[in-house]
Amino acid sequence: MQIKDNFADKLNKDDKCMTNTENILTQHIYPILPLHLSQLLKAIPPRLQAKVTEIRIRVNQPLLLVLGNHDIMLDVSGQASSQAQAYHCTIQDLLRTFQLICKNSVYAFEPELRQGYLTITGGHRVGLAGQATAFNGAVKTLTHISSLNIRLARAIPGCADPILPFIIDDVSHRIYNTLLISPPRCGKTTILRDLIRQLSTGKATLGIAGVQIGLVDERSEIAACENGIPSIDLGPRVDVLDACPKASGLLMLIRSMAPEVVATDELGRLEDVAAVREAIHAGVSVIATVHSRTISELRERPPVGELVQQKVFERYVILSNRLGPGTIEEIYDSCQEKVVYAGTNEVRVCG
Amino acid sequence: MWLKILGSLLIVVAGTCIGFNVAARFAERPHQIRQVISCLSALKSQINYVAVPLPEALAQCTCGVAGPVADFFHTMSSLLLTNGWLTPQAAMEQALDESKQLVLNQPEREILAVFSANLGSMDREEQHKSLELIHEQLSRIQFEAEKLCEQNVKMYRYLGICSSLAVVIILV
Repeated sequence: MQIKDNFADKLNKDDKCMTNTENILTQHIYPILPLHLSQLLKAIPPRLQAKVTEIRIRVNQPLLLVLGNHDIMLDVSGQASSQAQAYHCTIQDLLRTFQLICKNSVYAFEPELRQGYLTITGGHRVGLAGQATAFNGAVKTLTHISSLNIRLARAIPGCADPILPFIIDDVSHRIYNTLLISPPRCGKTTILRDLIRQLSTGKATLGIAGVQIGLVDERSEIAACENGIPSIDLGPRVDVLDACPKASGLLMLIRSMAPEVVATDELGRLEDVAAVREAIHAGVSVIATVHSRTISELRERPPVGELVQQKVFERYVILSNRLGPGTIEEIYDSCQEKVVYAGTNEVRVCG
Repeated sequence: MWLKILGSLLIVVAGTCIGFNVAARFAERPHQIRQVISCLSALKSQINYVAVPLPEALAQCTCGVAGPVADFFHTMSSLLLTNGWLTPQAAMEQALDESKQLVLNQPEREILAVFSANLGSMDREEQHKSLELIHEQLSRIQFEAEKLCEQNVKMYRYLGICSSLAVVIILV
């Protein structure tokens, strides 16, 4: 009976995942692709479609779909095929896709283009590569786009469940300053999004009544705001500063919205580090993410490494792609200098 | 006799209408160019300050403007919104074709065509420069159109009446 129940649960979960991906593709991805490419994607078997995490389009190269840890090439009928038989993307495919993404309005996406990405409706990030035009050592814009990487963002309610008990103080119920660490494509943003949602909603079993959270969503990925309004459920206690630079956004939120926790994605610049330090000393907890593989690697990475050396964060959550995106490798307590949670073979599939 | 009077009246009315229509076209042209200039100024703000994508910017730049010019910008906006693969240049050409009430002449249409070729593909600074240039060129054309208007409106009105009266006299 138990086995039967688990199996039913699994089937239910798979079906939900399939519907979720199908909705994402229909609502957000097909409208930004040329007709023939979207028809090609529609022809993929639903089981494969549900696993798609990235769509990679490169000039004169096969159309690639990344499914978790591996990728496949597609032929003109939408079936997985060898490189020789695969559909090869043309320069027109890229130009048309880029035109649809930026709605014929390059000026409206100037800052994002300088950083090499655009965020589309639904919070999906589209990475760009091509010819950079630089002045005085700074990239002014990207021209002759030759590669696009469409990364599908999925909200996975409950994916932060294993982390939640470790980032809350048992006695005071204060949220620890927490840093999620992983290389790209390991589910940092998805887990951060679920952490925010659960903290904002509250969780009686952990004694959390619901926390006022300020979110600086510089890349519009976490809340996927449309006209400033989050399109993803983040709970009832979140104030979002959309498309705002992290450093100024964090301080603006602290002054204006009086949050108990501020959250942001992908720390990297010197000013981000200064803003995090200021936020923490202002009595606000910070939850953030950063690109790195391990804590020791991060310690050597300037300027974020300074935060590790000075033990600014109390919890480090190390994520990997080992068993699929969102695999929790360990949760480290920097005050007691010990691992408080070591990952088992549990797999969390995140987008 | 009555038939002759009726026929003459019809000729006079028709001639007068033709004269007034041609005159109205001359009077309407500078007015529409002025409206295009003010819409483009609003578009400049939408691009430089708010940086909203073109379909929205084009729809919002017509605030306070009504008539064929506003319809033209709205048509262009909805064309870009529904057919994302259309370039701004193609959308503008199509919108100009569809806006039959526009009385713009070849010079201003050419200026708009050049402007649409650069629209959306540049950064804010370049869009600003392009819009400034278009503004300047259209202002010059507006000045000429106003001069033409002053010269021609009365002339075509009188011409309509007088020529129809001449036809009546010849026929009678």
